[in-house]
Amino acid sequence: MEPMACQWTDAPHSMGTTIMAVEYNGGVILGADSRTTTGVYVANRASDKITELTDNVYLCRSGSAADSQVVSDYVRYFLNQHTILLGRLATVKTASTLVKELSYQNKSFLETGLIVAGWDKYEGGSVYGIPLGGTLLRLPFATGGSGSSYLYGFLDQAWKSNMTQEEAEALVVKSISLAIARDGASGGVVRTVTINEEGVQRKFYAGDKLPLFHEEIAPRPTPIHAN
Amino acid sequence: MARYDRAITVFSPDGHLFQVEYALEAVRKGNAAVGVRGTDTIVLGVEKKSTAKLQDARTVRKILKLDEHVSLAFAGLTADARVLVNRARIECQSHRLTVEDPVTVEYITRFIAGLQQKYTQSGGVRPFGISTLIVGFDPYTGVPALYQTDPSGTFSAWKANATGRNSNSVREFLEKNYTETSGAETVKLAVRALLEVVESGGKNIEIAVMTKNEGLRLLDEAEVEEIVAGIEAEKAAVEAAKKGPPRDQ
Repeated sequence: MEPMACQWTDAPHSMGTTIMAVEYNGGVILGADSRTTTGVYVANRASDKITELTDNVYLCRSGSAADSQVVSDYVRYFLNQHTILLGRLATVKTASTLVKELSYQNKSFLETGLIVAGWDKYEGGSVYGIPLGGTLLRLPFATGGSGSSYLYGFLDQAWKSNMTQEEAEALVVKSISLAIARDGASGGVVRTVTINEEGVQRKFYAGDKLPLFHEEIAPRPTPIHAN
Repeated sequence: MARYDRAITVFSPDGHLFQVEYALEAVRKGNAAVGVRGTDTIVLGVEKKSTAKLQDARTVRKILKLDEHVSLAFAGLTADARVLVNRARIECQSHRLTVEDPVTVEYITRFIAGLQQKYTQSGGVRPFGISTLIVGFDPYTGVPALYQTDPSGTFSAWKANATGRNSNSVREFLEKNYTETSGAETVKLAVRALLEVVESGGKNIEIAVMTKNEGLRLLDEAEVEEIVAGIEAEKAAVEAAKKGPPRDQ
């Protein structure tokens, strides 16, 4: 008889995550879930998938945690030197191009989908998607990770250009919540990072504060039976 | 290629490294640079050669940032400094990447001095023709530091020091007048020291102030002029007091 297969030792490494970034009138909003998985085991239920590259540019990481961390470390290494030499803040385009170079030139070793977003004084807010193969594409909004499959139809209908900061933030939180509802590899809390001319603001939405959707039951107090 | 293996820096019969001493000569010919360490502020000042009318002054920088919390001023060959600073900047980031911590001032000084020493003991190269003043704050304790390196590769920490043209006079002034200062007082001490050997005026000196929270800030010409004017006024007042009140006839 064959020994029972264990998912957490045999399962292929899946892109367990939902990440997204949206451009709004004045800046960008990055959002992500917080679940890191090894098969069905949740290795970290409160991870931070939104990483700083510079003061004004952040990165959403999906796919292999190790690969995405190393890419972001190297991009920070090059961007810091670039910033000191340049004497002013790096542009989002420069940061994205560096991420793309690392992704593309090492494509046979890496398995990570990334979204770079930030604000600079030349372009305002910008979002760049860098999926698995190392393509670089500037987009008004980008999604990534296994949970993003469940968002294509929703965003086709719900996204509109030139949103306000509140509208964009609400869209990001709702999208990540919807993906968490249907994707087993996404879950935990929703983290958002807002970047604009004024600076950077991190927000945290605890799991029980997220909206509920179709067929999801609200928590209710358990009756205590006296006997 | 055997000819290029020969060391340029060799010992003389009486134990001198002439190439290193000649490099120090090059430093002595360079524009004056001064560094003063205060309790919460560090000041770097350099003598500014009057820029040609058509030259963009912003591109002639002798006070350079190595990392957010460490800066460098030098005296000597500008091109040599550029090369050394590039290597140091890469080392600052490489250190951050490998040990996940910013460099200490002592570490990067040791690195630069090590590089300068290497070029006194390698084939086919000459020593760097610069002495550096390296300043910064310890990333965790916030303690300010000032170090000096020279073409031989030696380095040491200082409370205040000068290098380049007339450095002896400047150092003498600092030895006489150094006290523990902070903030604007530290800036004034550095400017007074530089004015000992540089023609008076904001046009001829460049001052950079470093604090723990704001990093390096280059003072603009107007600010320097103000400080210089203040110093001149003080000097004049002292002179007048010496002469005494006008005598009645």
